[in-house]
Amino acid sequence: MAIKFAGSFEVRCSPEEVYDFLTDPNRFGPLLPDFRGLTVEDAQHFTVKVNVGISYIKGIADVKMQLSESTRPARAQYKGQGSVAGGNVSMVAGFNLAPLVDGTKVAWEGEAQVFGRLTSVAGGLLEPLGKKQVQKLIDGLQAALNRASGGAR
Amino acid sequence: MSGDGKKWVGKAVPRKEEERLLRGLGKFADDIKPGETLYLRFVRSPYAHAKIVSIDTSQAEVHPGIVCTLTGLEIAKQTQPFIEIAPDAGSKIRDFPMAVSKVRYQGEPVAAVVAVSPRVADDGAEVVQVEYEALDAVVDAEQALTNSSILHDEAGTNKVWSGVFEYGDVEKAFREAASVVEIDRLHFHRFSSTPLENNVVIGQWDPKDDGIYYWCNNSFPSFAIQFLAAHLGIHIDRIRVQTFDIGGSFGIKITSYPQMAVCALASKKAGGRPIKWVETRSEHMTSSAHGNERTFRDTRIALDGNGVITAITSRHIDDCGAYPRYEPLGCVIWSQVFPGVYRFKNARIEFSQAVTNKCPVGPNRGYSRMQHLWFLERVVDICAHELGIPADEMRLRNYIRPEEFPYTTPNGCIYDSGNYPKMLELGKKLIGWDSWKKKQGVARKEGRMMGIGIGTTLDSGTNNFGQSQIVNPGAPFSGNSQGANCKLDIYGEVVVAVGSCPQGQGHETTAAQVVADVLNISPDLITVRTGFDTERNVHTGFSGTYASQFAVSGLSAVHGAAQKLKTEMARLGAFVLESKPGEIEFGMGAQGPELRSKANGKSINYWGLANIVNVNSAVLPPDLYDVTLNCRYIWRAPFKVPDTKKKYGNLTMTYASQLHIAVVEIDAETFIPKILDYVAVDDCGTVINPGIVEGQVYGATAHGIGAALLENCVYDTVGNMLTSTFSDYIPITALNMPDVKYGHIETPSPHSYSGAKGMGEGGAAPIHTISAALQDALFEKGIFIEDSFNNPDSLFRALKGEIGRAIDLIKVERRA
Repeated sequence: MAIKFAGSFEVRCSPEEVYDFLTDPNRFGPLLPDFRGLTVEDAQHFTVKVNVGISYIKGIADVKMQLSESTRPARAQYKGQGSVAGGNVSMVAGFNLAPLVDGTKVAWEGEAQVFGRLTSVAGGLLEPLGKKQVQKLIDGLQAALNRASGGAR
Repeated sequence: MSGDGKKWVGKAVPRKEEERLLRGLGKFADDIKPGETLYLRFVRSPYAHAKIVSIDTSQAEVHPGIVCTLTGLEIAKQTQPFIEIAPDAGSKIRDFPMAVSKVRYQGEPVAAVVAVSPRVADDGAEVVQVEYEALDAVVDAEQALTNSSILHDEAGTNKVWSGVFEYGDVEKAFREAASVVEIDRLHFHRFSSTPLENNVVIGQWDPKDDGIYYWCNNSFPSFAIQFLAAHLGIHIDRIRVQTFDIGGSFGIKITSYPQMAVCALASKKAGGRPIKWVETRSEHMTSSAHGNERTFRDTRIALDGNGVITAITSRHIDDCGAYPRYEPLGCVIWSQVFPGVYRFKNARIEFSQAVTNKCPVGPNRGYSRMQHLWFLERVVDICAHELGIPADEMRLRNYIRPEEFPYTTPNGCIYDSGNYPKMLELGKKLIGWDSWKKKQGVARKEGRMMGIGIGTTLDSGTNNFGQSQIVNPGAPFSGNSQGANCKLDIYGEVVVAVGSCPQGQGHETTAAQVVADVLNISPDLITVRTGFDTERNVHTGFSGTYASQFAVSGLSAVHGAAQKLKTEMARLGAFVLESKPGEIEFGMGAQGPELRSKANGKSINYWGLANIVNVNSAVLPPDLYDVTLNCRYIWRAPFKVPDTKKKYGNLTMTYASQLHIAVVEIDAETFIPKILDYVAVDDCGTVINPGIVEGQVYGATAHGIGAALLENCVYDTVGNMLTSTFSDYIPITALNMPDVKYGHIETPSPHSYSGAKGMGEGGAAPIHTISAALQDALFEKGIFIEDSFNNPDSLFRALKGEIGRAIDLIKVERRA
């Protein structure tokens, strides 16, 4: 099952500040919804543990993340893969950064493919839940960047 | 002497099985609890198509209570792949009971965990780590045939089988046609069966005698042991299979032999302890077996000026899921009913079958024929609507006529008997056809969507396995047979054993009725052994319960064995009673069943007779030493091997027929199709037990209505099965079953000793009937029913113009 998501927001930070935030696992990782922990392997690879709870499927997913594209200060893209409770998720999420007069426009797009029991028993719920989680991530990111810049646009 | 001439066959004798089943005293496979049993849980693939990068069972192996684990690679190292029925390239597929290097459907087993309890096995399975590398999934058979992503690299293609079935002079028929109808695409959906009891296997590979013992609910054990013996490298006589009461199979328990193999191998690894695997409902939905999905492309129909179909051409593409297993037998089995109930003689069907990343298929009730019969019924209804001929009249113009039986079809099958116009007449009378037509006229004026549909279908029973040679000339099967044993036990009890494997069909009752008639005693005095057991030695290579054959093959074997026993009893009785065998009468005496001499009035009861052979044999003269009172009989169907090049020959012994009529109304706001009235008329020849036949008709009707409106195996584009629970896959129950009016006629079969025809599968008549009724409701709106599954969502989309637009998918050429 494919869940596609896209959108944009604006922050007061410069593109360089946004880029540096996005590509720092220690700052970006904890923004993932239901974050439990983080293990950084190197500058491009880290693993996050997140809680998963859909219907009676509950567990902790290890999601391996890779910074697959990094063009400072214009674009960052993550690829991720994780498994939980008989299901697997693979995802791609990209952030395109465009300078504004007093900040940056962050345009994001991505796709998650969900495989396995998770989809079989909760297929109808996954898309709205997935979009809700993505929105949580984006809201968290926007808030963190605004905090870093000293205020929202 | 009482009991003279009383016939039990044909009477609604209460089922012998009922007493124990209704009191909760049935004995099912999960009730078997051998000592030291271990429990197995499969680790299953979340991916539909992926390479297995690694499997790490180390955490499971140190988990308390885990005895051992097993992987596909371990199995591949010690076994042979399962036999493939297909010729090249299908024969190159290497099918093991668990994935070895690649998974090919979601839910495919990749590892097994064996533990001291089911819960510990669950825990162990949770910690098995499997790393996958996802591959592109193929979930559509037409796409699979392009080989854009190959499932079985060793085969090099996704095509399992293809062939052309051509008969008559198709080109001439089209040249001379008064009209030609073309249908772009029709689709028969994938659904399955939901037996109350899931698959259960207890397997033990006993190191003490190197024998494998199974207690299970496989419904075609003689087929399973042929596959298992070759796979496991063990002599077939060392495999013992016992079945007991079975809570439904509908054919899909035929293909549980991979799980049987895993249980045996796990037992071997666990030191010979019995291994029990009890399938969960979700496992059953995703990974047991589904029915075949089929797409019908580029169909052309030639008709004469009276609307009589003279020729059909079409391309049929069958989807058998990830592994062929029982396939590609389905590629020929549909041709048992090649023209359906219709008279056309000219046809060309290009048939192909492909593997896809979905659950493997199994011979689900109505196997392979129902898809074709649905196609033919769609063809008839679409032509009728396009040409403005009423559906009942269209059928009357095209039916095979009663006087034409026995009827030879274009491909050489011999339809034994039938009277389709009479069934239609009875069906119309039972439903009140004229009255509903008037109500329909009023409803249409009010803008309501009401349709009346007819489905006429066939239930072909007792296969000629020689048809396997049409798909693979090297296949070693032909004919059909069944075994039975009838004995007078040491204390004079009549005991019958049959090679069938009943799952609710009432075999104990009907077998007792047949023997009761032979011996002129009550069925209550006859014990029919429950279930199947290889060590009863009454099975042949075709023994099991499938393909609507028990009334012919099973009861013919029982009848033969009872006749043999009667002959022996008469010879022995003649000696004891100082008479001639022809002077011996069978019936009931004061002390129960007995033999009495018409010549001198002397009698002996069954106990006395059995006593002489079993424990008092010194009194026997040598010329009676061959009398054992333990008579085994093998019935063989009088088939010949078909002409494999012409794809011609008799493929089935009997053809039961069904005619259903439904009145359906689609709610204009919710699009819910509601059945307002329903009639099922059945003809299975001479009825053995009316109550059992009626019950089977209701069961098949429920199954078909569920398939038509509720039950659909839905996969997304990456091969996730989205309907793996009863929340999404809605089985029919008594609560959503309409009242069904039942009627029957009898056209005795000349091909069976009793005139009975195999029945029970029902030809999926409700699917055809409901499709017809929905089309009748919607055709005026330019919608035709292109799919066998129709729910509120699909009807909503059809009414929005997203699917089923007749203008896009149907063309009609009317010639002068």
